[in-house]
Amino acid sequence: MTMTPTTSDDELLRRMRQGDAQAFAALYRRHQGPLYRFALLRCGSADTAADTVQEAFMGLFTGRLAFDPLRGALPHFLFGVARLLILKHEAPRRRESPLPELDADDDEPMTDAPCPLTRLLASETAEQVRRALARLAPHYRDAVILYEMHGLSYLEIAAICAVDIGTVRSRLARGRAALAKTLRAHALEDT
Amino acid sequence: MDTLMHDDDTPDLDPRLAQLRASMADLDTPRCVEKELMQAFGAHFAPHRPWYRRLNLLEWSAAAIGSAVGIAVLGLLAMAPQLAGQRQETEALLHLDNGAAFIALDSFERIEADPAPRLVETEVPRTVLATLGLPVTPENAGEALRAEMLVGAGGEALALRLSSLH
Repeated sequence: MTMTPTTSDDELLRRMRQGDAQAFAALYRRHQGPLYRFALLRCGSADTAADTVQEAFMGLFTGRLAFDPLRGALPHFLFGVARLLILKHEAPRRRESPLPELDADDDEPMTDAPCPLTRLLASETAEQVRRALARLAPHYRDAVILYEMHGLSYLEIAAICAVDIGTVRSRLARGRAALAKTLRAHALEDT
Repeated sequence: MDTLMHDDDTPDLDPRLAQLRASMADLDTPRCVEKELMQAFGAHFAPHRPWYRRLNLLEWSAAAIGSAVGIAVLGLLAMAPQLAGQRQETEALLHLDNGAAFIALDSFERIEADPAPRLVETEVPRTVLATLGLPVTPENAGEALRAEMLVGAGGEALALRLSSLH
């Protein structure tokens, strides 16, 4: 059977479960980019982000992750899996140090230092935003990244983060406010 | 996409976020991840081969040689008691005592179980006795010896007794 860029995820998934490597490769190439960028911004580590993507797709074809098309689209399911994998990865560090407060001014406790993204982002402004994002508390960061960087709706974010839509709305508003505040502080420091 | 009610104090946030979006647009997962995933996928869906098809020629040869050696060893172990038994049986057939000889031509159980054995006088050529294990020299090979033959009720020869081998 031929495979086109318009072949649906469901069809590719069906063929992948029958052992069609081309279908799996097509699924991977279709979704790896956004998933990797989400993981990268979310955890701040290129290695952890790559591991997260690998583990998510591994779980998909081995059947360890039970994706149900009736409960949502595949990309959203993968975002949810990546988020949980990163939370699991961060759990030991969270036990050791408390989460940063919304208004805390300490230096990026949730990211590896120096961050590999620094090398990847050519734009100084983009790097400033990235650093400000990294200072957000994880639950605000989830909402801001998924909404601002991936264009997901409140409903989709609510499903991914397993919270209600009102929580998404408030987290997004607070996250954006915190982001703006941090960026303003940086601008003042620069001047 | 839902419309977020932006705060008034974040007017410059959207262009900055757009810059971050643009700068990350081309970021992809490292190539090695796809390679590893495809290998894992291939291994996961590889057709199940029976065990005998998973062995290569060398392994098959080693298995065949090992089996042959094992069978040979088992055969020798199984034959050893039989060989020992044969020797014991030969020893029991011929009994020499001060120049006299008793030669059982059948098993002792059969001889003892015969309902009506009888003795018959006869002469036996030394060449025949030689086949039963008695010593024969070239000088006396053509002679015959007097013997008593134990004959069963059915007329079959059960044993021979020689009073003198000389």
